[in-house]
Amino acid sequence: MNGFSVLLQKEWREHTRNFKMLWMPLVFIIFGILEPVTNHFLPEIMKSIGNMPEEAEFLWPEFTGEEIFMSLLGQYQSIGILVIILAFMGTISGERKNGTATLLYVRPMSFLSYFLGKWIVVNGIVLGSVWLGFMAAWYYIEILFNRVDAGAIFAFVATYSVWLVFVVTVVLALSAWLPTGGAAGLAILITLVYQFIDSLIGTYWTVSPWKLSMYASYWFEPDSELSNLWMSLGLTVILIVILIVFGVFLSKWNASKTTV
Amino acid sequence: MAELANIPWNLIMPLIVLQFILMIVALVDVIRHRRTNGPFIMWIFIIVLGNLIGSILYFIFGRRQV
Repeated sequence: MNGFSVLLQKEWREHTRNFKMLWMPLVFIIFGILEPVTNHFLPEIMKSIGNMPEEAEFLWPEFTGEEIFMSLLGQYQSIGILVIILAFMGTISGERKNGTATLLYVRPMSFLSYFLGKWIVVNGIVLGSVWLGFMAAWYYIEILFNRVDAGAIFAFVATYSVWLVFVVTVVLALSAWLPTGGAAGLAILITLVYQFIDSLIGTYWTVSPWKLSMYASYWFEPDSELSNLWMSLGLTVILIVILIVFGVFLSKWNASKTTV
Repeated sequence: MAELANIPWNLIMPLIVLQFILMIVALVDVIRHRRTNGPFIMWIFIIVLGNLIGSILYFIFGRRQV
């Protein structure tokens, strides 16, 4: 492919210089630690700052490690995805706007390697950060709660990773299509808002990428029906490929919109 | 002071260290570049006072991409 490794290096250098390589992992690790720690100390926190009457007897639910993993996934689903969208909304549209694209587009470069270079580096950062976050959480859950089966954790994180790749692909494809603001708004609509709708009225269908985060937790229950999970995974991979084609096409289509 | 000793510092410490690293990196970046969206003094306050959220906000919105 035309200058693929050069484009990869360019993306890598860009994200090191704007510190995304540093702060994205840190943010996800901090959330990964915060979740088990706050859940473990919740009764004491409530006792000291909750302003509860002395005689109030409150039975705190006993959380298991698996439940903490799921609630951490819930955190990543809302705040994590918002951070991912906002951090990468301008990946392509921002380059068009600030003129970096002019320097790139005048060179003999294939838009496939341009888009794929971005896709690989952004996915690398996002997945690396989320994996580090889950590893930090795993360590704390092992200390504060109970031991969780390692195989289940790997399957859980792997399933969730497919959903994250889908989110990143949506963000990049929209960024190739629309200006930065529009890309961010539509990406939030597609990933966060639609997910809410899917959980409300989505009982009528079972195969959907938006259900992957829910299906991921099935790995913690030994005897759950996994066929819907596999179907959703397949559908998500197909959608990812379609979105990549869409993104490559649109970044070429919009090349003329570059500010010179 | 007995309450302070009761806090499990060995559990909380990594959290504090990580937040501190994030804050220092953001602050060093603001002070070195001074090219932010909006006055850079405001961003220094946001980063210092808003610890985790403040630093994230700075990296997402405050940093002007050169």
